[in-house]
Amino acid sequence: MLRYALTRGALLIAGLLVSSVIIFLTLRVFPGDVAQLIAGTQASPETVAALRESLGLNKPLPVQYGAWIGGILHGDLGTSQLSGASVGAELVEKARVTVPLGIMALTIALLIAVPFGILSAVMRGRSGGTSLNVAAQTIAAVPVIWAGMMLVVVFAQWLGWLPAQGFPRTGWTTPLKAFESLLLPALTIGIVEGAMLLRFVRSATMQAAGQDFVRTAAAKGLTRRQALIRHGIPAVGLSIVTVLGLQVAGIIVGSVVIEQLFTLPGIGRMLVADVGTRDLVKVQSELLVLTGFVLVIGFIVDLVHHTVDPRQRAEVD
Amino acid sequence: MSTSTTARRSARLAAIGLLAVGALVLSACGGSPEPVSTSPGKADPNADLTVGLVLEPTNLDIRHTSGAALEQVLVDNIYEGLVTRTQDNKVEDRLAASHEISPDGLTYTFTLNDGISFHDGTALTSADVVASYQTVKTDASVQGNTEFAGVAAISAPDAETVQITLTKPDQNFLFNLTGPAGLVFKTGDKTDLKTAENGTGPFTLQRWAKGSSIAFTRYDEYWGKKAQLAQVTFQYIPDFTAGVNAALDGSIDVLTAVDPNLVSQLKDSGDFAITTGRTTDKATLAFNNAKAPLNDARVRKALRLAIDHEALVEAVGAGETLYGPIPSLDPGYEDLSELVPFDPAEAKKLLKEAGQEKLDLTLTIPSFYGTTVAQVLVSDFAKVGVSLEVNRVEFATWLEDVYTNHDYELSFVLHVEPRDFGNWANPDYYFGYDNPEVQDLYAQSQAELDPAKSADLLKQAARIVSEDDAADWLYNGATLTAHIPGVSGFPKDSINSRIDLSGVTKTAD
Repeated sequence: MLRYALTRGALLIAGLLVSSVIIFLTLRVFPGDVAQLIAGTQASPETVAALRESLGLNKPLPVQYGAWIGGILHGDLGTSQLSGASVGAELVEKARVTVPLGIMALTIALLIAVPFGILSAVMRGRSGGTSLNVAAQTIAAVPVIWAGMMLVVVFAQWLGWLPAQGFPRTGWTTPLKAFESLLLPALTIGIVEGAMLLRFVRSATMQAAGQDFVRTAAAKGLTRRQALIRHGIPAVGLSIVTVLGLQVAGIIVGSVVIEQLFTLPGIGRMLVADVGTRDLVKVQSELLVLTGFVLVIGFIVDLVHHTVDPRQRAEVD
Repeated sequence: MSTSTTARRSARLAAIGLLAVGALVLSACGGSPEPVSTSPGKADPNADLTVGLVLEPTNLDIRHTSGAALEQVLVDNIYEGLVTRTQDNKVEDRLAASHEISPDGLTYTFTLNDGISFHDGTALTSADVVASYQTVKTDASVQGNTEFAGVAAISAPDAETVQITLTKPDQNFLFNLTGPAGLVFKTGDKTDLKTAENGTGPFTLQRWAKGSSIAFTRYDEYWGKKAQLAQVTFQYIPDFTAGVNAALDGSIDVLTAVDPNLVSQLKDSGDFAITTGRTTDKATLAFNNAKAPLNDARVRKALRLAIDHEALVEAVGAGETLYGPIPSLDPGYEDLSELVPFDPAEAKKLLKEAGQEKLDLTLTIPSFYGTTVAQVLVSDFAKVGVSLEVNRVEFATWLEDVYTNHDYELSFVLHVEPRDFGNWANPDYYFGYDNPEVQDLYAQSQAELDPAKSADLLKQAARIVSEDDAADWLYNGATLTAHIPGVSGFPKDSINSRIDLSGVTKTAD
């Protein structure tokens, strides 16, 4: 087990290193730089050059990369080239919107996917199961942005129950208002992600139904359905953990679009704004943190799998 | 991009200014600069005013960062210069009690007001002014450095007097001192200007909640007339609709840069008075004069004739037509509408003459500018056989491609700076416009000592630029401001570059 964790840990670190190089290099293909933006259109080339120098933008790429990574190894995500503010501090601040949004979205997705996915598997071949499956397939194909707009039309414009956009200026000091403003965005992501997850739960359940241990249980006198519910579904739980890891990545990507649509001051919107202003050090660190987050979740999922599923352990060790 | 040694510029950024103004854009002008007074009640000296704005500054370091969003809130409220400008862009004394210009136009002598102190309590002396201006002159990364290119010496004969000597007369020098270049900072100050301040203005910085608001508190030791508000909060609301909603639900007292399309909601509520303010925003449709096919004067003329400017202003919702490079708030303005009558038939004829009956052009436009202008242009140009492709880009990309590399055919941005005619006298500017006669007239206008004669020279130069069809000026932007009846004295004109709060009052209820 320890050997497995170490191997996976080493892979995780390698993954982070490779991502950092890719992030750093791809951002350099953008036209335009932050020095010109700070200096403005009335500035002389000397002014822009002086700014570029003071921001370290004229240093060779390896030096810039080294300075960035060196800082991160010391726990310093750097400072924004534009505002001079600490990137870490701002990430934490914006996470107060994005993390609750992600958790709410994930909860909604699970509340939809698990019961209805199992139901749809159990009812396979009957009209109820088929319609559930078709509905899920349709919803999963809906673009998040369109789903968001539809929800706004219904719940904000027609019914007037929830705010169409924005986050209270008072933040979480007014918890109810903050929660309300996250509800529509979370529903938007949750429904679409939930529909995708539903189809996975369905197929995992059906697969479990075909497993030997379920058949054995059925042979012992349980009905097929009883066998599935008592023995098959716990096994499904494990595969859901795996997919959830992927789902979290999906929610992060989804939040970029959703925060834009609902003007939520979260990480996704900050990222878009920072790319727009070419605040590259900030964008680098933000992307690396997000990548790291997804990789770490993958790592945890693997470890959990490895611990819980004896078959896998046998294969690796 | 490159420098023009003759051109002087106001050191304001357009980069961010443009962003700000992308928002402010439209709105009708006209009207007087007097503050609007709608309040019959008694002003409350402990009032707390909340002002809704669109664009937040990226940091507070006005010495190194350009941008209207920054100047708008900091200049005159937190930081002050020897001189400042009124809402209609006239220069007036601020820290200086008086100023004198020598008959040869080379020596400026300022006498300071008494009792000026920085917010940390230190008294301001002429030595602080000298040190601040020396920095502007010697440090290229400081805003206004190019405007100080013609400064020969800065000295302080005594503690109340500052003397600046120029190498040659400069009609714009005093005006440039009203911008960031002229602000006075404490000598050897260690304050981190990106997040804190130590100015001399009637307000001090209380708190900056990045991404949301900036709060000021009255400075009770202020040397001049003290502010009549105890506290001011600038609330940043980037979305127009959200801003109107915030105003309607009572959480802000003043909303600036109201979208003309949303103004009726505020009017209908009956809770707001709306003012329309003039600006120096020139909505500029730039032609790449240095590159085919726009190096052909007939093509440029045809494009201008094809645009229905009146209809465009109507579509935008506010603002006035503008047919030349100088807006009405700047010296040298003249109504040049007779040069560009709306005449699609003539436009077609000119294009035929130029052999460009089927012309494909690309318009590069920063993405934050909405779609109205581009739509009107596409449709107007289509009627004369020009098909326009609209290329929406991020502002940083615009700066790189259009502004720095001059790689474009048509471009649209709002040039917000006052007195920026010098760009037309700079052949290296992205317009690619090179006319020695204009450059000569501009140089003369700057060297001219008499302001009226100087303005006249600018007028002549501006006429030539428009006759050459160096660009099209689609409209002169205006800015709409809504405020509740209890607020009075809130500035009306030019507020996308200055919001001087010292005269603003609010009643108790």
